[in-house]
Amino acid sequence: MTVDKQAPASGSILVVGGGMAGLTTAIEAAEVGYEVFLVEKNPYLGGRVAQLNQYFPKLCPPTCGLEINFRRIKDNQNIKIFTMAEVENVSGSSGDYDVAVKLNPRYVNVNCTCCGECGEAVQTEIPSEFDFGMKRVKAAYLPFEMAFPARYVISPRIIGTEDAKRAKEACKYGAVDLDMEPKTINLNVGSVVWATGWEPYDASRIDNLGYGRYQNIITNMQMERLAAPNGPTKGKILCPADDKAPESVAFVQCAGSRDANHLPYCSYICCMASLKQATYVRAQYPEAKIYIFYIDIRTPGNRYEKFYQEIKADENIIFIKGKVAEVSENPDTRKITVTAENAVTGEKVHQAADLVVLATGMQPTAANFKLPADLKYNGDGFILNNFSKGGMFGAGCSAKPADVMTSNQQATGMALKAIQSVVNR
Amino acid sequence: MTETYMVEPDLEFIKEVGLLGAEDLKKCYQCATCSVACPISPDHKPFPRKEMIAASWGMKDQVVKNADIWLCHNCGDCTTRCPREAKPGDVLAALRTYAIQEYAVPKKLGKMVNDPKKLPMLLAVPVVLFLVVGIFLKIFGIHWLNFSPSGEEIVHAKFFSTWLVDLIFIPTFFFAIGVFVLGLKRFVGDIHEEALKSGKTDKKKIDPKGFIEALVRVIPEILKHKKFSQCGENADRATSHMMVLYGFIGLFIVTNIFFITLYVFGIHGPYSQLNPVKWLANIAGVALVIGAALMIKDRLTATEQTSTYKDWFLVVLALLLGVTGMLTEMTRLGGAAGLSYTIYFIHLVFVWALFAYVPYSKLAHLVYRTVAMAYAEYTERS
Repeated sequence: MTVDKQAPASGSILVVGGGMAGLTTAIEAAEVGYEVFLVEKNPYLGGRVAQLNQYFPKLCPPTCGLEINFRRIKDNQNIKIFTMAEVENVSGSSGDYDVAVKLNPRYVNVNCTCCGECGEAVQTEIPSEFDFGMKRVKAAYLPFEMAFPARYVISPRIIGTEDAKRAKEACKYGAVDLDMEPKTINLNVGSVVWATGWEPYDASRIDNLGYGRYQNIITNMQMERLAAPNGPTKGKILCPADDKAPESVAFVQCAGSRDANHLPYCSYICCMASLKQATYVRAQYPEAKIYIFYIDIRTPGNRYEKFYQEIKADENIIFIKGKVAEVSENPDTRKITVTAENAVTGEKVHQAADLVVLATGMQPTAANFKLPADLKYNGDGFILNNFSKGGMFGAGCSAKPADVMTSNQQATGMALKAIQSVVNR
Repeated sequence: MTETYMVEPDLEFIKEVGLLGAEDLKKCYQCATCSVACPISPDHKPFPRKEMIAASWGMKDQVVKNADIWLCHNCGDCTTRCPREAKPGDVLAALRTYAIQEYAVPKKLGKMVNDPKKLPMLLAVPVVLFLVVGIFLKIFGIHWLNFSPSGEEIVHAKFFSTWLVDLIFIPTFFFAIGVFVLGLKRFVGDIHEEALKSGKTDKKKIDPKGFIEALVRVIPEILKHKKFSQCGENADRATSHMMVLYGFIGLFIVTNIFFITLYVFGIHGPYSQLNPVKWLANIAGVALVIGAALMIKDRLTATEQTSTYKDWFLVVLALLLGVTGMLTEMTRLGGAAGLSYTIYFIHLVFVWALFAYVPYSKLAHLVYRTVAMAYAEYTERS
């Protein structure tokens, strides 16, 4: 019989999500010669990693890792990228999937040189999603300096207004195209890799931790933006309520993670993220006191453990074993008081801090947004990979909470799985 | 210097506490959310986080002798917040049941009161007791238990003489008091010893005068349910609890007035409905019935709180006590003699069960919690 060796209907691979995991799967598969379609819903690639200030534990900016990947994409003819695109439907089976992809209009074409004239010209400002609403940007904007593709975006909010016309008139290169319409394209692929990533858990749902009620309580992802040189404060860590330099910062670990009322699992990265962010504060404010409230510090592996030991040795960083379960604000000073029981001493601690960072965990995108394909999930919304069935796979944080390195390793594995599905082995 | 400390877990204790309602105890991962969520837990050595670990490690003395388990009013704020669904509120309730069994002698009776299989036997005891004493007296021509009471008016004393009631109930009452006295002697010594050991107090000896003064300060707070109403999650439970408590207090007062007027002035019941004492009796009876019914309703609808046999035993007994009491009166007023006498007999069975089994049932919290709260007040633990 020749059925097993039959040539597959399609030799292409679709990767959904252009974050770190999706980039990795796409590039790894493309570099061994397979045609890859990479679909990303944002106007840029890089996902959550692009929003970070530094990686742990090496404390280097993620731009350097992203730059290498973008270079590899540019050099590779096998990768076709669709940004501002969403998968609408997937039908078929391993080796032969029909995929409908909706392309949303960017209103800016390939002629864009990122000169920024359109942004100067428009008047409307919108909250920057990239900065978690901590900054307002013009409605014609470049998502961030290193955005790839390096092209401006015009917000649909100004389409049909005078502002849109101003943008068009300002462009010397004819790059603004206000007539763009959403369209749906169909792709035939042999395998689909879902690298749909994660969302920071909605901290306002943790009602005893005061997020959204008190301005000086922020999330760890907001802290990344505050510390990032291209962030809303140009990298200066300031208290949102009064733009003051914090003299004390409290980190609240397991904010929503390992909690049956929220995310029952450990989000894996938050301990390392807070330790890393403690170094941001230490670097900017050498006198500042940092309090880290934790249940257990989880820094798996030799490198992470070493990082933890180094942070622990810093006498300005104080570790308190006890989960913060109550917060209050002094309305005059805008200082926050966090309350926890120190389980080592058996005393309640009421610690005042200028800035409180909630180490919120990661929730898979699929937990709040059903993916349009026949996939199996666990109770928390992570994709359960069925390797014997093949065809479709979850890569990176769509499959489990992971750091960048683990995500990359797993995503490389999924590139191989996708190739196996495509060649029908 | 590192101190070496060997934990010697009492495995039997862990198992028993689990059966008493602490089945999720081992889920606890010591995050200490509960100690902060609790609206009445103090800053110094707060509860219930430390009780959770001591109980799950089988360190029986550290929890059973710990006054803190009695400061908890089981409002459930900790259970709602608990990220592990370990239900600290229910664990503390289970620990209190265990402690009640520890302090009430004989321990065997305590075990029986908390064992649903023994319930028919426990209720049979007063039935048999009443009949045996009543029939025994008949041999000597004393007809205090008269199965064919005569007369137009229904007078329960003609069926079950007040002499017989007092002959049985007064010793039963003092038996309960005696069990409590024995238990309290050990209890007070133990909670003080534990408080010293864990650094909750620096008072070496308990000064009786200061302790009594603290008790006097605490009682009005208990009557006002001051701590109970600080609860966030189940604040409305304070109302039903107050109704039941005041119902019992009212009925206790009525019983004493009845007792004194009978023995000092020779006036027999039943009293007229116009008598203020009757008013108090009726109001207290209704409060008891409504309060107990509300408690049952709350427990049936509670999703987060576990109700175990010890809880049902008490609330159902309180309800039946109130209902049979009220029905006895209503059937008397309605002229249904046979029915009224029967219900009265059942009512007496429940009253006896309440008296005799108080020191072994959940109702013993009346004594232990009061003493523990007085001790906390005395040692300025707040």
